Amino acid sequence: MTVDNPYKVRNTYVTGYSGSAHVMMIEATGLTYRYGDFVAVDDISFSVAEGEILGFLGPNGAGKSTTVKMLTGQLVPARGVATVLGTDVSRHPKAVHERIGVCFEEKNLYPRMTVRENLQFFADLFDRSVDVDELIRKVDLEKWASERAEALSKGMQQRVMVARALVNDPDVLFLDEPTSGLDPVSAEQIREIIRAEKTRGKTVFLTTHNMAEADALSDRVAFINEGRIVALDTPENLKLRLGRRLLRVRTRAGDDFAEEVLPLDDDATPDRMGALLRAGGIATVHTLEATLEEVFIQLTGRKL
Amino acid sequence: MRRACVAAIARKDVRMAMRNNLVLLALVSGVLFSLVYYALPSATDETYHLSVYDEGASALFSSLPPQLSRGAAFSFVSSEEALHEAVYAGDAIAGIVIPATFDEVVAAGGVPSLSLVVADELSTGQAEALSFLVATLAGYDVYGTLPVPLATEVIGADEAGFVPMREQSVPFYLLMALMMEMWTIATLVVEESAAGTMRALLVTPARPSDVLTAKTLVGGVYAVGVVFVILLLTRSVRGDLVALFLGIVLGALLAVSLGLLLGSLTENITGSYMYVSIPLIVLLLPGLLLFIPDISHDAVRAIPTYYLVDAFGQVLNRGAGIADVWRSYLAIACLDVVFFVGGIAAIRRRYR
Repeated sequence: MTVDNPYKVRNTYVTGYSGSAHVMMIEATGLTYRYGDFVAVDDISFSVAEGEILGFLGPNGAGKSTTVKMLTGQLVPARGVATVLGTDVSRHPKAVHERIGVCFEEKNLYPRMTVRENLQFFADLFDRSVDVDELIRKVDLEKWASERAEALSKGMQQRVMVARALVNDPDVLFLDEPTSGLDPVSAEQIREIIRAEKTRGKTVFLTTHNMAEADALSDRVAFINEGRIVALDTPENLKLRLGRRLLRVRTRAGDDFAEEVLPLDDDATPDRMGALLRAGGIATVHTLEATLEEVFIQLTGRKL
Repeated sequence: MRRACVAAIARKDVRMAMRNNLVLLALVSGVLFSLVYYALPSATDETYHLSVYDEGASALFSSLPPQLSRGAAFSFVSSEEALHEAVYAGDAIAGIVIPATFDEVVAAGGVPSLSLVVADELSTGQAEALSFLVATLAGYDVYGTLPVPLATEVIGADEAGFVPMREQSVPFYLLMALMMEMWTIATLVVEESAAGTMRALLVTPARPSDVLTAKTLVGGVYAVGVVFVILLLTRSVRGDLVALFLGIVLGALLAVSLGLLLGSLTENITGSYMYVSIPLIVLLLPGLLLFIPDISHDAVRAIPTYYLVDAFGQVLNRGAGIADVWRSYLAIACLDVVFFVGGIAAIRRRYR
């Protein structure tokens, strides 16, 4: 079931982020892109503050990659303006590229070059760059620094990809599905790197369809569907406002278990909970707040 | 253009090229072509070897003036069978059978007859020319007069000069080396697209023109290097060196710009084989036709590499200079610009 979107104001969203200075590192205003007659991105507007991680979520074909391409100067919008670090990306893409880092979903390292050669080559393209060996230590690939990229596991290659996005110590990071297809350990290593960058005050635009990851990492998440942003807020707000406010209580009597679901907003719930506590035998109590995925389904009527 | 970006990309391309088997093959090809060069004959023998069976020991060949026998070598055999064997074995391109009564018929005021045996490898025109030669020889013996003197003037470069086959083949090796370089460059561009690294490059300060400039520099220097390896190994650095070097540079740019253009047409490695190999065969045709001189060159003039091969041949083997080949060089330079601009446009269109 699709519900009315309480956040939408002409598809424009205020940041709602309580970052310290509210300096906007990314601003999209009325961004639109068409592939022929197909409108891939339809008049979207949002902004991302300094030090914020914005999770950009949506199913395949929703317009995520097209949006990222417009924000990083790979595509010129049919309409609207993308501003990164206060600079119009379409007009001055190279000025923006000097200060951003982009990690692509598809593996695009030079396979016959070593880890160090891959990183050093990209570092040489920027006016400002970090020490490559330090970067290799940061992503825990010292042992593999002299190995060709093609010899690395998928998880290691992904870490090199993330490291490559950091060679110029970027102020804004664009990460496209950085943990897609990785084992849990490798995925967590990537998340640690992302958290570390946030701690350093970097802004992260995280594109993903992994709701749990977005929930864990993002200050705010934006849902995009059919080229339009359908919600943008903190994960907690989205889950609270669009999720179910229920309490599930499981009680035990001998070997038998019983379960009750109580609405949190019902006036009778406190009395019922009191009665259950007094009777003893409560085994577990859980709130049944919605997951981000459930919120997305409510808003769009479709799964990720 | 950012020089730092161009330099970084060029260094990377050199490193990548050294790890690419196709590029190494192109380098080795220079040595291979040189080996083929030395396998070809070093001198051209344009003498007509003719076998003669003169049963009656006639006076026909004893009093020939030099101008009638120039360019021909006669070997006498003892029987008509031996003459046939000599022609069949290729020791002679033709044989003349002089009847035993030749001198008697001449002395009696009659007109003797001769037989000419020709090898099947001779073209009709060559056989007819030989017939005239033999008839002229016999006519002198019979009538005691030379034909009307004929002065011959060659307009332009004398294509019938005595250039050995191995020297004639050098422009083809140079063309082969350059076209292999075209394939190499196209492959490097396609690899960059197929691996997605081009997209990664273009979200850095590097511009499409930086990428193509770096590849042009690396590819151009590499192509010139391979060509010079061939020239040195075949000891073919000769003629007007300015014209030679200019031709090589323009040829290298032609190969690189064509490689950039063809490599920009697809992102698929397998698809690139079709995009590159078909033009490659066409572009090699002018070089191959060096070995088949009887085929008309008119249609070949539509192929860009014709002007390159023609200029190399003129400079290396005919003593031509800039003044002789500037039209060809101008045509190549124009094509260089067209293909390079086309390559940049194709890449920009793909990534913007």
